[in-house]
Amino acid sequence: MGLLPGFLSTAPKSEAEKRADEVRTGAVAPTRAERARCWAARDAFYACLDAHGIVDTLNSEGRAAAARACPAEGAAFERDCAAQWVTYFKKWRVQDIQKKARLKELEAQGATRMDVQTDFTPRR
Amino acid sequence: MAPPPATTARAVVNALPRATASPQCTRFTRLLSTARIAQAKRPSAPRPSSFQSPPCQPLVQRRFKFKTVEEAKSRYRSGPFSWKAGLLFVITAAGLVWYFESEKERMRRKRIAESTKGVGKPKVGGPFELIDQYGNKVSDQDLKGRYSLVYFGFTHCPDICPEELDKMARMFDLVEAQRPGALTPVFVTCDPARDGPKELKEYLVEFHPKFVGLTGTYEQIKAMCKAYRVYFSTPSDVKPGQDYLVDHSIYFYLMDPEGDFVEALGRQHSPEQGAKVILDHMKDWKGVLKTS
Repeated sequence: MGLLPGFLSTAPKSEAEKRADEVRTGAVAPTRAERARCWAARDAFYACLDAHGIVDTLNSEGRAAAARACPAEGAAFERDCAAQWVTYFKKWRVQDIQKKARLKELEAQGATRMDVQTDFTPRR
Repeated sequence: MAPPPATTARAVVNALPRATASPQCTRFTRLLSTARIAQAKRPSAPRPSSFQSPPCQPLVQRRFKFKTVEEAKSRYRSGPFSWKAGLLFVITAAGLVWYFESEKERMRRKRIAESTKGVGKPKVGGPFELIDQYGNKVSDQDLKGRYSLVYFGFTHCPDICPEELDKMARMFDLVEAQRPGALTPVFVTCDPARDGPKELKEYLVEFHPKFVGLTGTYEQIKAMCKAYRVYFSTPSDVKPGQDYLVDHSIYFYLMDPEGDFVEALGRQHSPEQGAKVILDHMKDWKGVLKTS
């Protein structure tokens, strides 16, 4: 199917597909359910990257490594999230890992920990 | 033949109450009466009656304070402290500690609230006129009389805003449970190009039906963000249909019923902590606070 994009894309799309397209391009803001789906896809992608020790997926080698190691998760991530969000989350991952490493380094030097949160889990 | 010293001492002690009771008393009154005579020669204001003749309490009476010997003995064994005195002491101490602690906390909150009002300090907040998600005009005057919790964000926000808005909904419910109608939750968009009333309505209803969503023209929003000292960066030269993210400050601004900034609540506050901060400030508020 993917080999004949020009021919198949002319077929009328269902409402759900149209909506998913709009979310991906950023034409509409995602609903709560769409956000939850995107975050789940993101977390699965992150988990796969963690398992393979990949941090940065924005440079060419990282992208190639991610495509080799986590093709399914990567595709789901890009399908369920807006393109802007994909870039944002990929950048965020790099920064967050750097931040955590730096915090660990500082703590080893005897710095005092401040009450800040660096992950996505909301506080209850 | 003198008796041994110990027995003499006991004899004196035994004799003392009875022996001193009347003679000492009479001697005492006589002494006072001579003083009275001496004073009577000069005119002077009448003295209070208690001074003129102190009632001569016979010391014997003290002996009947206790009904039984056991009672008297136990009284002497425990000294002037009883469980009643101890309890009173503990209650007083606890009360004082509680009072000082609560006063200290109150003064700390007052300092926070006052520190943002002082002369020469940057003022956060101010007049504005925007439209809400139903298309009605909303100005700073409409928010007066109640505390308001102002949050800036945008509907295309990937992670922080939705989480913070969920937190805001929880915080609002907690405050609402104790002080219904005393707080207005306000969401101001930083992305007026894409967030019109319709988009805000669809977006906010998923968080809380009582949220007030504000939008306006780019200029109005820019002025609003400037008034609240909110940093935001809507990318310039956006082509129609192009997707982008807005970088913005992620604090909740607690504003008092007169529209003055009170305190900023951040990511470090849990909903319960945030609600407590708000409720404590409401408790301190001396003016009129609208309800429901």
